[in-house]
Amino acid sequence: MNTSFTATSPGTAVRASAVQLMATTLLAMLVLFAVVGPLVWPDHASQDLSRFLQAPSLAEPLGRDHLGRSVIARLAHATQLSLLMAVLCVATALLAGTLAGILAAWRGGWIDTVLHGLSEAFIALPALLVVLIFSAIANGDLWTLYLGLAMAQWVEYFRMVRARSGVLLAGPAVEAAGMLKLGTVHIIRRHLWPELRPLLTAMATFGIGSSILALSTLGFVGVGVRPPTPELGLMITEAFPYYHEAPWMSLAPVLILTTILTGLLSLRSKEAHR
Amino acid sequence: MNLTTSLHRSPAGPVLRVLRQRALQAAAVALLVSTACFAIVQSLPGDLAFRIAAGRYGYDQVTAASADTVRAELGLDRPAWQQFLDWTGDLFTLNLGTSLVTGTSVAGELGLYLWSSLQLAAAALVLALALGVAGGALAACRPGGVLDRLTTLWVSGSRALPPFLLGLLLILVFSVHLGVLPAAGHGETRSIVLPAATLAVGLSGLFARVTRDAVADVRQSDYVRFAAAKGLGGRMVFLRHILRNTGVTLISYVGVQMLILIEGVVIVESLFAWPGLGHALVHAIFWRDLPMIQATALALALLVVALNTAVDLGAVALDPRPRHREFVL
Amino acid sequence: MSMRVNNLTVTFADKVLADVAGLTFERGRPVTIVGESGSGKSLLAHAIMGTLPASLTARGSLHMDGTTYDLEDRTNRRSLWGRTMSLLPQEPVLALDPTMRTREQVAEGAGTFRTDKRAALHTATTLLGSLGLGPAAGAFPHTLSGGMAQRVAFAAATIGNARVLIADEPSKGLDERARAELASLLQRHVDGGGILITITHDLDLARELGGDVLVMKNAHIVETGPAAAVLQNPAHPYTRRLLAAEPANWNHSWTRGGASIETTGDPLITADGLTKTYGRQRLFSGLSLSVHQGERVSLSGPSGSGKTTLGNVLLRLLPPDSGRVHHADELRGGRLQKLYQDPALAFAPGAALRHSFGDVIRRHRLDPARLEEFMASLRLSPALLERMPGQVSGGELQRLAIIRSMLLEPALVFADEPTSRLDLITQEETITSLMNQVERHGCALMLVTHDRTLADAVTRRRVRLGVDAGSEATLTTPALKTPA
Repeated sequence: MNTSFTATSPGTAVRASAVQLMATTLLAMLVLFAVVGPLVWPDHASQDLSRFLQAPSLAEPLGRDHLGRSVIARLAHATQLSLLMAVLCVATALLAGTLAGILAAWRGGWIDTVLHGLSEAFIALPALLVVLIFSAIANGDLWTLYLGLAMAQWVEYFRMVRARSGVLLAGPAVEAAGMLKLGTVHIIRRHLWPELRPLLTAMATFGIGSSILALSTLGFVGVGVRPPTPELGLMITEAFPYYHEAPWMSLAPVLILTTILTGLLSLRSKEAHR
Repeated sequence: MNLTTSLHRSPAGPVLRVLRQRALQAAAVALLVSTACFAIVQSLPGDLAFRIAAGRYGYDQVTAASADTVRAELGLDRPAWQQFLDWTGDLFTLNLGTSLVTGTSVAGELGLYLWSSLQLAAAALVLALALGVAGGALAACRPGGVLDRLTTLWVSGSRALPPFLLGLLLILVFSVHLGVLPAAGHGETRSIVLPAATLAVGLSGLFARVTRDAVADVRQSDYVRFAAAKGLGGRMVFLRHILRNTGVTLISYVGVQMLILIEGVVIVESLFAWPGLGHALVHAIFWRDLPMIQATALALALLVVALNTAVDLGAVALDPRPRHREFVL
Repeated sequence: MSMRVNNLTVTFADKVLADVAGLTFERGRPVTIVGESGSGKSLLAHAIMGTLPASLTARGSLHMDGTTYDLEDRTNRRSLWGRTMSLLPQEPVLALDPTMRTREQVAEGAGTFRTDKRAALHTATTLLGSLGLGPAAGAFPHTLSGGMAQRVAFAAATIGNARVLIADEPSKGLDERARAELASLLQRHVDGGGILITITHDLDLARELGGDVLVMKNAHIVETGPAAAVLQNPAHPYTRRLLAAEPANWNHSWTRGGASIETTGDPLITADGLTKTYGRQRLFSGLSLSVHQGERVSLSGPSGSGKTTLGNVLLRLLPPDSGRVHHADELRGGRLQKLYQDPALAFAPGAALRHSFGDVIRRHRLDPARLEEFMASLRLSPALLERMPGQVSGGELQRLAIIRSMLLEPALVFADEPTSRLDLITQEETITSLMNQVERHGCALMLVTHDRTLADAVTRRRVRLGVDAGSEATLTTPALKTPA
């Protein structure tokens, strides 16, 4: 049957965009919290043991933790740290992976062989393992975590970009552009970029989520960011023993984490439908 | 058309190809991990010989002389490149050294850790496949139906809840509140339930999604419609055509999920104090126990390669087509 | 026993896609339904079989063996499938399960398959043997050629001895040889007293099958009659238009190779001792060839004979295993252009056509008015430029590709199967556009095609590759012998 008849229901599109709008709003609020929060509640470190596990109040919307520190201040700083680290890691991985991928696909030869061989080894390493090995170098220094997370992720971008660019560069459209002598800029701007952009955005959205998750997992397990630096995973671990007495203390970071993840997932599901 | 040669392709060809490619990958992974570990050793603050000597004799017993003995013994006074050759040489002769913390042979402990991790991974994988494949296949029978929507919900739910939060939740519900299952330990059979379930929930959502899409795709395919037009009944079409072709898609996807499985194993083991490779690795990192870091990291990475080799071989058995696709995970 | 269809309609929402008042099919007399894609011919066949997509609604009735079937109920004919009615699928390569050996897939259709599997397998092996597919019985589909897959599908569709065989575009993607084989297979079914309904846009296949021909256009049958009569002396204007669009019937200023400028100009491409192997297959060896200014050469041969590969070697897009290719200076700076089989793949898919053309104009500092001029002379609306390549029909996009290549005033245009995906009428329109430009600019043309009549109509010199498959590639240039 060479003609296809697909029934489109207008409902799905409307629902998808409503979900996306909600996700965007939620994420925007979180970003706002991460940017403004640390300014409003700058002090996340000072302890006051007399106010041990104090319940939420107007002045302290999320109460105080087991060391009497302001939970909302710690949360704001932790959110800022997570988002900043994630964006930085993804940007680095994306840039390095994309450039290396295009280079490998375009030049071929020994450059391709070396880069591809390296990616073969990296792709077999679970990202968490790479970050763990890196975090072994220094005591939860932020720069090793950053380097580890970026190192763990570049390979995904590299492989996608290399594979897609390889197909595109060998395809008739680029061949035709070559015969029309349109030059490198045209090929990148009209052929590679429009094809890669939606894939890269989708991957980056997902990558930000998994970076935040990896960071908090490391903190949770005890080999990530060192206390007393506030970090979401670390806060969950610290709060867990008191979840009965002070549930807000554990719930707050959990809520932030799941909101970020669901928000990013909903954004991405829209992306895939387009 | 070279009919005779292409029709009767020996099955050994693709199998050998898979084994050769994966062996190369394993070697590359081993080199990468050991290089990273070597780099860590070189970059560590303080004198390595001093630390090792301290590990051996205790911090109060260490003298400059004993550190020198260690240095000479381990060849730490030689240039870095020579040390690196030794380091990798040791690795390829399976000389993994002794733990800096416990002083016991790393290789000996590794076997136990590996066995625990394999148990956990296998239990989780079986559970996830059973849940996910059954759910996905049923959902695909009625696209848009109740079960299909439930599966979609399950998928997004399981993806928004990271494994460590899910594990915490399960501990709270089953161990703290209901008190029916142990939260930690390794002794009894029941103790595997919670860690395996934690891992399986996340994976099963992904499997359900892929199974659903694969079954729906295969049902739409020309060959399934042609099979029906030949006069085969619905059950026969399912058994003879849909099942295996769904398997082809699913098995390559299971390969992709091996990374997620192993990452999950590391997290879940630490959470439930399950004495496997991941637990050992996190501990080793905490204590800066380098031989142990290298051995466990290497074992985990090679486990991924081994699992993927098994997946590749399964795919070769299911799908006779030559695979032009890139060697991907 | 005959089969009759009454008041058949197929609708999608409120749109009527096929509407046929009554049709009778007799045993031993094939019926062929011809028409362009979108005419509803394929839907007619699937409505009879009961295999329409779920979004379409069929109405009407089918009478056979004293039983009446309501066409709206898509399940009432299921029990007939394979035993009484059978469908030969459109693309046999896709209709075979990639993970199952051919013998098993054929045996499934046998009536005894559920009760006696061994007997069914035996019958399948015998049937495949009689179709010359003995060695392929144990093979997986991906090892078969298109023609072989077609024969396996034929075996699977006919092993149940169904009296009614419906063939949906069976010659799609087959070369001349495979098509002749297919015609004789279908003939075999008719000779055995079967009812054969063939859906095709291939008029040559309709001629070879004989029997009755129905011509469909816009959901309706516009002409019916014996094949010889309809395809020789058509009564309906649409049928006449369709027949006139066959390359053999073309009559334009540029048909039959255009004047006698062959080999008089300077050589643009000179190839010497070219050899290329693909896998284990040697496509051509020791091939020497030159293309001269203003000449029109065709490159033809069955599928898999290496036409496209030779073209890419000649264009220096692919290195030969041995030999060399020399390009004259006249071809520099983009004055060698190529047209593709699927124009949608030849434009940047993510950019509006306006941008794709804008880049050419800017890069080569051309006058933008020239584009408008071209668009007008090829009767293309300027609004098309606002669209993405995927939103333009194949015929229009190929004409846009012709314009793009002509903007640089090429000395040679290489056209690789430029119309093999188009309907007859669109093909004529597209080739006319191309040839008018070729004539106007006096540029040379190299046309790759599997269609001999098209090659004959457009070019004078013909290079044929791999005439008898299996042996080494042969090279013939028959037209060179007698410049008329």
